Formats: sequence, structure tokens, C-alpha cells
Amino acid sequence: MENKKQSQWTLRNIILIALIAIFTGIIFWGAGFLYTALTVALTPMGMAPFANDILMGLWTMAGPLSGFLIRTYGSAFIGEFLGSAVEVFMGGQWGAGAFISGLVQGVASELGFALTGYKKYNWVGLNASIFTTVVVTFAWDMIKNGYMHYSIIMLLGLFITRYISTFIFGGLLTKAIVNMLDRSHLSVSTN
Amino acid sequence: MNPGLKLFLVVILALEVSFTQSLIVNLVLIGVSLLYLLLHRMSPKQFLGLIFWPLFPALGLFVSQWLYGDAGIHFAFVLFTRIYAYVFLGATFTITTNITDLSLTLEQDFKLPSKFAYGVLAAFNLMPKIISEVKTIKTAALMRGEVLHFWTPTLYFKAILASIQWSQNLAEAMTSHGFVENQERTHYQVIRITAMDWLLFGGGLIIVNLMFVFIHY
Repeated sequence: MENKKQSQWTLRNIILIALIAIFTGIIFWGAGFLYTALTVALTPMGMAPFANDILMGLWTMAGPLSGFLIRTYGSAFIGEFLGSAVEVFMGGQWGAGAFISGLVQGVASELGFALTGYKKYNWVGLNASIFTTVVVTFAWDMIKNGYMHYSIIMLLGLFITRYISTFIFGGLLTKAIVNMLDRSHLSVSTN
Repeated sequence: MNPGLKLFLVVILALEVSFTQSLIVNLVLIGVSLLYLLLHRMSPKQFLGLIFWPLFPALGLFVSQWLYGDAGIHFAFVLFTRIYAYVFLGATFTITTNITDLSLTLEQDFKLPSKFAYGVLAAFNLMPKIISEVKTIKTAALMRGEVLHFWTPTLYFKAILASIQWSQNLAEAMTSHGFVENQERTHYQVIRITAMDWLLFGGGLIIVNLMFVFIHY
């Protein structure tokens, strides 16, 4: 307290990030049927990976959201990782895979905020985070989900789908939420 | 086994499964995990859930790799079993461990700062309350004729308002119970990592890695 440049990692902020991660995790849990329905619809055409990419933005939303609310290093990573932990403990479809996806997505989302030096909390910072999220998670799926064995056209389709999805949820929706908070003059990040 | 070590073992193995392409090792991992789960008396309902829900993503990946992949049917089977390997490995952790033991051992044995261990634990213990809060927010909006979907900003806005309020309350409650950030703590329930834990951890890692080295199909 005597130190002026006090760390943002206070007990309250840690609980806050965890709560936001759990909230978003539970809201997506309600949309979980979407993934299964999309997969069922797309499997006969062999296009099931698109279900993954269509919903990618939803799964990676906790990262930019908590990164934007608690403006300090590590918050995007912790928000995203805890969000995936919620899924693991609620018994999600992915088991331990969700922990690993959470690690990858957390690093991916954090990277964008790190690139802007944790200074640009506007469209620039948000877009940096979206960009790194899409690129890093896609690289990961090249290995984990065997994307590297698809043709270049299919890869392009998957990549664009993922970018649009991440832009809608991690970008537009996150910005809309942050704008609502700004208008209500709530200070989230300061004690 | 110590919950922290178990978690690390599961995550490391799942990571290795992602980078390797061995059908046999995947099946062995699934089999051993299943055995472990049966020994820990998993309920039939949990078992069916573990088989049924991953079937969708596993089948989806299988079919598209089979139709459009250039790596052949073997790789399609690897992807199919990979999903199940994740799920069964994950279940050996989630079905037998609770989050309280995990955060206690992470704090005591893995040097996680206590504010993270107890802060996150406090939040996770609110999970049932959070589930009902989401329902409350949606119902309250319905009464005014508004439907809140998962893409509606208002839903998240209200969830964040609740989070801000609860985090303040929880942090104050913890402080008033004597919790001091960055302060050395004594423990009522002491969790130690035993030699047996290290043996299981190391042994598991070595055996699986030897399998990855020698089994290539």
C-alpha cells in the first residue's frame, strides 16, 4: 500500500478474474449443444472441423475480456485458462484436452496484449489479441487435430471461419461489453 | 496420488499424445485410465458420459480426415483415439480429485502464492451460485420481454456486475477471517508429496515415453 506502483494482482482482482472466467464458462456451457449439433450436421460431409472453427471465438472470449478488464500482464492468460478449467471440472467433452487448449489459447490471447506493451486498450490492442489468438490456436490445431493433412483450400476456409468467429466474439462482443461498462462509469481495474 | 503431481502427469501425457501418432499407445493410455477409473468406482452414468459425448468430435475428425486428409486411415484412427485418450486421462484426474485438495497442494508443495490458491478456490466454490445467477439474470430479462442469448452483451455486462460485487465481498470476507496477502501461512491440513507419489509420477512418465520410442504403429 505504501508502494505507489502496486501490483494489480490483489486478492480481489484474482477472485474477479476467476469469477468472470466461470461466468463466461457457464454461459458457453448453455451453448454446448451447439457444438454437438453442428458436428452432427457436418460429419456426414466430412466438414466437422468447421464446427470447431465456427465456435472458436466463443471458447476464446474469456481471454480478451479479462485482459481488457484487468489491465495487467497475465490477466488474459489466467482468465482464459481458468475458463477452460471450468469446462474440465464440469465434465466437458474434451477432458484433459481442454486444459491444454486453455493453456494454448491463454498464451495466444495474452501475446496480443503483450505485443502492445499492455498499453493499447482500444481496438488496436483488441485486434492484436484476436490476431495472435487465431494464428496460435490454428497452428496448434495443425498438429493436434491433424489440420496439416488437409488441402490448402480447406485450410484457408477453416482459417477464415476461425478469424470471423474470433472477431465477432473476442472483438465485437467484447468491445460492446466493455462499452457498456464504460458507460456505467464502473471502475473494474482499480481498487 | 498427490493431486498436483497427478494433474501435471495428466497434462504432460496429453501434450505428448498431441505430438505423437501412435494408435497403440493411445489405446494403452485409454485402457490404463479406464482400469484406474474402475478401481476408483466410477459410476455407470459417468462411464456412459465418457464414452458418448466425445463420440461426436472423435467421429467428426475421423470422417473428415478419412475423406479429405492426405495421411490415410491410420492417422484418422489416431485422431479418433486421441480424443478418447484426452477424455479418459482427464477423467482420471477430475473424477478422483476435488479442487480443494488441488489448490491446497499447489499452495503448499508447488509454491503457488496463497492469494491465487485461495482466491481461485473461493471463486470456484461459488460455482452453484454462479449457475443460478445466470438463470436469474435471464429470467429477470424475460420478465421485461427481453431474451438474453449467449451473444447478447447485456448478459455478460450483468454477469460482470455480479462478479465485481462478489469479488469485493469475498475478498473482504477473507480478510476479516484473517487472510493476509503475501503472508506466510500455517496449515491445518498438511499435504506432502510422498516418495510413492514421485515414484508413480516418474514411473508413469518413463513407461509412456519408452512406449512412444518403441511403438510406432
